[in-house]
Amino acid sequence: MRRLLHEMNPSMKFLAVTACILILAFFFNPWTPLLFFTGVVLLQLLLSQTNWKLWSLAMLPFLIGAFGYFWTTLVFGQSGDSPVLWTIGTIDITVQQWELAWSLSLRVLAFSSISLLFAFTTDPVHFIQSLMQQWKLSPKLAFSVLISYQFLPVLQKEFVQLQQAHRIRGTGSRSSTFKRLTESRRLLIPLLAGAVRKAERAAFAMEARAFTGEARTHYREITLAPKDFVLFALFSLVLTISCSAIFWT
Amino acid sequence: MLKGWKLKEIVLMSLFGVVFGIVYLLFLHIGNLWAGVIGPLAYEWMFGIWFIVSIISMYIIRKPGAALLPETLAAAIEVMLGNAIGPRLILSGIIQGLGAEAAFALTRYRHFQLAILMLAGAGAGIFSFIYGYFLSGYAALEPSFVALMFTLRVLSGAIIAGIGGKYIADSLLATGSLRGYAIAKAEKSDARA
Repeated sequence: MRRLLHEMNPSMKFLAVTACILILAFFFNPWTPLLFFTGVVLLQLLLSQTNWKLWSLAMLPFLIGAFGYFWTTLVFGQSGDSPVLWTIGTIDITVQQWELAWSLSLRVLAFSSISLLFAFTTDPVHFIQSLMQQWKLSPKLAFSVLISYQFLPVLQKEFVQLQQAHRIRGTGSRSSTFKRLTESRRLLIPLLAGAVRKAERAAFAMEARAFTGEARTHYREITLAPKDFVLFALFSLVLTISCSAIFWT
Repeated sequence: MLKGWKLKEIVLMSLFGVVFGIVYLLFLHIGNLWAGVIGPLAYEWMFGIWFIVSIISMYIIRKPGAALLPETLAAAIEVMLGNAIGPRLILSGIIQGLGAEAAFALTRYRHFQLAILMLAGAGAGIFSFIYGYFLSGYAALEPSFVALMFTLRVLSGAIIAGIGGKYIADSLLATGSLRGYAIAKAEKSDARA
């Protein structure tokens, strides 16, 4: 039970998540996103092994973003003809603005909860392999992406190396985080130039191993099982329940 | 779409996707904190940053799809790294990529002057705004505020992505690591002419 979401077919999961988000975008009441958020967290609580400490940390920036949405909608949202709820200084806040503000900011939370569900339960490599096997993503592209993905730690190391090289030559400072951030701009070109050369070498290596687009068999078969459809239905159920909120509010 | 692409171009495009996926993610977090203070308007003037890989990749590779694919990939990488807005980001990546691609398709992938690159950046801005209008519920905001957001985003696309993208690609060309790609060949024939 606790591994179900992790074992769900990644393409199917992706489809479910994207569909949910697209449909939610049509709803402008505060209850739908709130219900959806609760439902998604419940699903993740029951059907996955999530590091909730990490989850809260990842949720934090979205919470701040939601707050930004909340107050801008409160001030800049369409006021409509609804009665004024209260007045701050020269700004009148109407009932409509108040509800819209809740709806838009809760929507941010609903979207981020389902996105985090996907991120926390999906292995990127499995996702690409599933795209290749179920959605016929071109292997040429899929393997290029996998290779580039493996380059990530290498590029990170190179970034540090470049930083140190610059410092040895007297440019760049370690004084403040902000300064270091603005100076990383100077590192972009050498980092990219190194990446371009690496890409070329990787391409030669791939050609030598016949990764050139012929049909291939797969070492790890990613299958589509009945349980994937059951889980898909479960997502739809959560979506339907939260969307039905418009009928009883 | 990948017919006629050399493998090394595909790998280069993927690598750009990965590198800029990280850059995008970094700015997404900066933008997010920023947006907490001044609301959605915070993103608009810096939106061009998120279109830049389309312009760089197309300017270097110059083949159909070279704007759409890396933008989509960069978005996918943001999702895979796990802390972005999630799978819907891939959709916005596709839409932004299509916007840039449309500008290049209009000129039949023959012209890559600064004006075209800026048009591509603006195109990405327009496409992404239409998508955002629908998804983030801009319809609920005052029309004048929405118009301001739209103008800022298109300008940002043209300036940051168009001019900035050309600047980065030209600097890369100067390092000599782009030999063997379309951009270096075009440079050579220009010199001969």
